Amino acid sequence: MYGWIWRHLPGNAWVRALISIVLVLAVVYVLFQYVFPWAEPLLPFNDVTVDGQ
Amino acid sequence: MTVRLVVRSLSELCITAGALVVLFVAYLLYWTGVQAADAGAAQIDTLQREWAGTPVAAAPAPARVPAPYVTGKGFAVMYVPRLGRDWEWPVLEGTGPDVLKRGLGHYARTAPLGATGNFAVAGHRRTHGDPFKDFPRLRPGDAIVLTDGTTWFTYRIDRGPYRTVPGDTAVVDPVPRKSGFDGPGRYLTLTTCDPEWGSSHRLIVWAHLDATRPVTDGRPQALGS
Repeated sequence: MYGWIWRHLPGNAWVRALISIVLVLAVVYVLFQYVFPWAEPLLPFNDVTVDGQ
Repeated sequence: MTVRLVVRSLSELCITAGALVVLFVAYLLYWTGVQAADAGAAQIDTLQREWAGTPVAAAPAPARVPAPYVTGKGFAVMYVPRLGRDWEWPVLEGTGPDVLKRGLGHYARTAPLGATGNFAVAGHRRTHGDPFKDFPRLRPGDAIVLTDGTTWFTYRIDRGPYRTVPGDTAVVDPVPRKSGFDGPGRYLTLTTCDPEWGSSHRLIVWAHLDATRPVTDGRPQALGS
């Protein structure tokens, strides 16, 4: 998978490395901003009330 | 050649899954705390600016009509000296997950601050700033101080920490049965989860209103200044 991405990125090794870093940061951003906040309530750390909310 | 491809894909998948788990732990332990601290501080700032803009001398607590709280909006700041000298968190209306990630949440169906009945508040034990991390250290006699901008309310803990099950909604009743209170009064209940990282039980403390003073008279003695 990663090899496939690397082969399909344009430019020389430096440009590819730069694009890779940007891609990684974008993925981390999407995870922290959207995926993790969605996944968190599915875990038991958030149940602090007594009425099951 | 195909074996190689399968092994490589599997390895990449495992590495990706591992990185995902590590990132999620970092999110829970660190990032939710940063966000909660920011949101809490911003909320306290907003409240203090609002309070600074309104005339304080209007009316003392007993004569005041309890303001209808707006879900998701902060209306008070809580201080618990036992949990730390600079422990301060805003209290917001409602106990939904989106409210509790920004501060402490007031159970909407319970009494307003300082009124007769039970003013019940929930907070995170872990993640989102860990407001109630040291909950088990609370002892009878400890002060829980709140302000709504016009009045300081000093509650004293009577009973707790009391461990119960999540379905035990009677702990936030106007006169909680197991608290030892024997009649209507001005009570406060705090709830959080137990064990620290689990959700199988809840920890409760009960307190009664011990003293009130107008904010114009300065901070109450329980806050040490």
